[in-house]
Amino acid sequence: QTHNMSPWAGRFHQFWNHPAGPKTIHFWAPTWKWMLIVASLSDLSKPASHISLNQNLALAATGIIWSRYATQITPVNWNLFAVNVFVFLSSGYQLYRIFKWKQEQKALEAQNSVTEDENL
Amino acid sequence: KKNKMVIRVFKQLWSSPVGIRTTHFWGPVANWGIALAGLADINRPPEKVSGLMTTALAIYSILFMRFAWMVKPRNYLLLACHAFNEVVQWYHLSRKARYEYEKRDF
Repeated sequence: QTHNMSPWAGRFHQFWNHPAGPKTIHFWAPTWKWMLIVASLSDLSKPASHISLNQNLALAATGIIWSRYATQITPVNWNLFAVNVFVFLSSGYQLYRIFKWKQEQKALEAQNSVTEDENL
Repeated sequence: KKNKMVIRVFKQLWSSPVGIRTTHFWGPVANWGIALAGLADINRPPEKVSGLMTTALAIYSILFMRFAWMVKPRNYLLLACHAFNEVVQWYHLSRKARYEYEKRDF
């Protein structure tokens, strides 16, 4: 017996030396993608006028497509699947906020034009 | 003769293991959306640029450039997409940095 002291040592070695493990880009690239979700959720504190419609449309599309395809590649990458599901959900929610804000703007404009007409 | 070449190219795209019927093609196509969205936002006022999201995307693209290079099969379309996105995100970051610097009020 060398330095394998605990029953977890074998598990850790398996993880550490895995072909898609933390010594490889196959681990860090999908892991970093979780930061996009953190960034998206931190943007919840910003007003809807300050978030980008284009960016969130693109993120929602990429989230849903890569979610599916993470299960179609070899080896199946559940980390990539999970992160893309959350990317889709968080950017989907931002899209909802943007559309709601746009509806409110339209309603305000309609209201303003009505009062203008009344003043004439 | 030109038509024959077009047909040959299309046949190759259709039947290739990394062709247009495969995830190796459509995944990167989806990610081009992020780069193009960044391009579409090129004239967005800098105060509306999300510093956190832009930085996260910049680091994300560096990592996925390496991923695209190392993944089997090597994915040049994904590599190109992220190289392009990297430039776009850095541009947004530089605009934001300049704006923040100019409006600083210590």
